[in-house]
Amino acid sequence: MTETIVTFEKVRKEYDESTVLKEVSFQLEKGKFYTLLGPSGCGKTTILNLIAGFTEATVGNVLIDGKKVNEIPAHKRKVNTVFQDYALFPHMNVFDNVAFGLRMKKTPKAEIKTKVEEALGMVRLKEFANRSIVGMSGGQKQRVAIARALVNEPEVLLLDEPLSALDLKLRTDMQYELSELQKRLGITFLFVTHDQEEALAMSDEIFVMQDGAIVQKGTPNDIYDEPLNRYVAEFIGESNIVEGHMVSDYRVAFAGYEFDCIDGGIPSSETIDVIIRPEDLEITSADKGKFVAKVDTQLFRGVHYEIILYDQEGNEWMVHSTKKAKEGSTVGIDFDGASIHVMRKNESEADFYKRLDTYTEILEG
Amino acid sequence: MTEKMKWSKLYLFFVFILLYTPIFYLILFSFNEGGTMNHFTGFTLEHYSTVLQDSRLIQIVVQTLLLALLSSLISSIIGTLGAIGIYYVKNVRTQEVLLNANNILLVSPDVIIGSSFLLLFTIVGFQLGFVSVLLAHIAFSIPIVVLMVLPSLEEINPSMLKAAEDLGANGFQILWHVILPNILPGILSGFFMAFTYSLDDFAVTFFVTGNGFTTLAVEIYSRARRGVSLEINALSALLFIASLLLVLGYYYLSIYSRRMKKVKRGVAE
Repeated sequence: MTETIVTFEKVRKEYDESTVLKEVSFQLEKGKFYTLLGPSGCGKTTILNLIAGFTEATVGNVLIDGKKVNEIPAHKRKVNTVFQDYALFPHMNVFDNVAFGLRMKKTPKAEIKTKVEEALGMVRLKEFANRSIVGMSGGQKQRVAIARALVNEPEVLLLDEPLSALDLKLRTDMQYELSELQKRLGITFLFVTHDQEEALAMSDEIFVMQDGAIVQKGTPNDIYDEPLNRYVAEFIGESNIVEGHMVSDYRVAFAGYEFDCIDGGIPSSETIDVIIRPEDLEITSADKGKFVAKVDTQLFRGVHYEIILYDQEGNEWMVHSTKKAKEGSTVGIDFDGASIHVMRKNESEADFYKRLDTYTEILEG
Repeated sequence: MTEKMKWSKLYLFFVFILLYTPIFYLILFSFNEGGTMNHFTGFTLEHYSTVLQDSRLIQIVVQTLLLALLSSLISSIIGTLGAIGIYYVKNVRTQEVLLNANNILLVSPDVIIGSSFLLLFTIVGFQLGFVSVLLAHIAFSIPIVVLMVLPSLEEINPSMLKAAEDLGANGFQILWHVILPNILPGILSGFFMAFTYSLDDFAVTFFVTGNGFTTLAVEIYSRARRGVSLEINALSALLFIASLLLVLGYYYLSIYSRRMKKVKRGVAE
């Protein structure tokens, strides 16, 4: 059913002495929305440049549509890019910007007109065709850039942090627009960002990157609920991460107590990281909670209060609650055993998913 | 504060007086009936009519303009391509070496450039005349154009070039549709700079000009050597007015284009 459109086979990229990408392998399927997520300098833009053809792999193969494209220059690839700074041509109006790619391919004039109008319609800029690029707002420029790329009917659309220059409100709007556009057109999107919210909101699949390698691949839910390690957990969403140790399968100890959990397959007494999301924690009275903690500070975040507490062992806990807490008071913290997620240190992604599969099944069965 | 302002204004006034007095002095005596620069005896337009009737002089003016136009045109083309070449050199050190080689030509004295061209043309056995002067002018204009074009090249957003490539443009298409329209202001100012340099060049031309061909600067020099004639004053006055008009025209043109841009922007908002 699903067709592979982009394949990386053990691709390594070195600039002078430094390795920016270490033996990365992955496949992108047709019609899905992928996100490369990672801090700046983790190699995500390098992956984009390799697919677009702006740079060549030092070792390994890049395949598009089953064909090796290592030596094919950028202007001959059926891939288009939306750049972070839009990279529009300031000396042309909106129509000419969008028509650029078609004109370079010597498309007949009448066809250019219909296609450009269609593309401008997709990004809701139809009336803007004759406007100058200078003086357009960031969001409008962004949409022109998207139309300019899409009008060429690429097989893969690469988006290099396209929303980072927009303000928050516009960014959220564009997230909806982009994911809607992707679903309607069925083109593979590869979106690069360092913003975890963007990644979670739009992607079918997220690749979390660190130091030139992909740390974890998975759906937004997988990655949010079951991060591989501390790095992924801290990068995606707010989290409470404390050190603890396994007592036995489905039994974990941290914060001075033992708890039931749903993780297993880890040797007992191994030191592990425990993560609980702030929204899974609940503040109750001191006698009702699973452990007690003292309220340190709280911030009003609009949707919820962000409350910082310290337990008896000195661990910091963040709780998202709709109810206000009293600063300085001692309260109980309650949570469901299923919201505890145990992460082994230095576990590989393959081992992690294998362990997850075996042990979660047993529990559910 | 106001005391300071006063002094700075006074200083500025003094500087401009110093700069413009000789020119106005020259122009004033172009109307002198007396025929010498010693005493102003009365007003006359006689010298101007002599200039306009001097067909040799008119021919030289036309020749000079043609030379300036041709040399600046050709050097604009070569210089622009050269600047693009330097811009695309990946190695930073090579780029610096090329740029410095360009700048050395710019600052080296005209006499050296002129004499070396004379030497070259003589060794090769090239006939001195219009073509030799043209070649020399093109040669000293190219570095000027390169220097004027490079900044506008550096202003181009590199991701714009990447975008053009990404959209399927090959090397030539990128140059023609993206690079050239964006560096056009730089090329134009390079062209005008080269034009004026060619127009008022004396030293280089003096070396490489032959028997049949001469430019205005060389002609004025040789006439001035023969003795003071107020015809030269009249000619200089005409040239001064012409260049004044050019500057004014350029000024109003730039104001006009700036206003046009603003109007366009206003529509977009």
